[in-house]
Amino acid sequence: MTIRIISTVLALLALAAGLAFANAYPEAPIVFDKPVRGVLFSHKTHMEKGLSCEMCHNRLFEMQAKKAQQNSDFVMESLYQGKYCGACHNGTLAFASNTRCATCHIGVKGEERLKNGGKPEKKGH
Amino acid sequence: MNKMDFNKLQNEGVENVPMQQRRDFLKMGLAITGIFAGGTLLSAASTFNKAQAADFAKKYPYSPHYSMVMRQDRCIDCERCMEACVATNHVPNVHGAYRTTILEKDTSDAIGSTKEFIPVLCNQCNLPQCTRVCPTKATYKDKTTGIVMMDIKKCIGCLTCQEGCPYNARYFNEEKKAVDKCNFCIDTRLARGEKDTACAHACPAGVRVFGDLSRQDSEVFKTVHQIEKAVWVLRPEAGTRPNVFYTKG
Repeated sequence: MTIRIISTVLALLALAAGLAFANAYPEAPIVFDKPVRGVLFSHKTHMEKGLSCEMCHNRLFEMQAKKAQQNSDFVMESLYQGKYCGACHNGTLAFASNTRCATCHIGVKGEERLKNGGKPEKKGH
Repeated sequence: MNKMDFNKLQNEGVENVPMQQRRDFLKMGLAITGIFAGGTLLSAASTFNKAQAADFAKKYPYSPHYSMVMRQDRCIDCERCMEACVATNHVPNVHGAYRTTILEKDTSDAIGSTKEFIPVLCNQCNLPQCTRVCPTKATYKDKTTGIVMMDIKKCIGCLTCQEGCPYNARYFNEEKKAVDKCNFCIDTRLARGEKDTACAHACPAGVRVFGDLSRQDSEVFKTVHQIEKAVWVLRPEAGTRPNVFYTKG
């Protein structure tokens, strides 16, 4: 009994410490739909590369999902000029914004797959 | 020896030029057009256009010879092309009904991008299987543009053309009670003075380049006839000589 209480307390402590040290972030990927549909941003992928919240927030992106896509300059050309994702995705810090298109642009089918957690509805005969 | 006056030289005719010499020049892309001063001077002209002309007419027998080049790596599957096509050509919102769609290809062990999007539509083949198998000639090659057309009044819905098409570019339209397919927007846009198809117009990434292959100054012609970048067609083994080409970069 005592051992169970101690272990529970320890587990809670570890959890609290974990929360305090690790950056909390939304688990679900963000899929932008403007100006084009199906553009993926995954917090998880970026956190696993060792980035911290303040590297992007709130300098490049506000802490509200898809807020950036309301801006009229949220287009590839801005990224090439070092805005938004382009601050890092410039070919030096991370792969350049004008390469590997389909890495972020998962497309409409990719978005459906994310939503359904599996295959998109098969089109065709 | 005095300086020669070229204007006064007579062309002595090419009849006596030795065969070997003619061949040597032809290999350089030149045809001998005259000999002067007892054979010490030759005039020659490029054979490039002449040699190509015959081939060219065989290859691109239509005028305008409509074609599309897909810069495949730019495609991001935003599907604006598909939306534009549906809106322009009244494609019903039914499962499996499309005139153009986007295929996906995964190469999971690739470095960098692992996914490719491949836009597809009717390839408007020079030797189409669909027109060949159609029992009522409801589908045919347009004599001017080479576009594979549908005469829906003649279509009996036997779907043999679907079987024949190597590109899966045909669907049965329940509203028209006939097979429907891409016709490069000939009725909905080209006939109304537009210069491109709805899908090419809607693409934000410049994937789809629409143009006339019979014009050597067109972008499609220049892309297909260069050797710096690979250009290919889908399912070449079908032997239908498609007019939709693919490239990257």
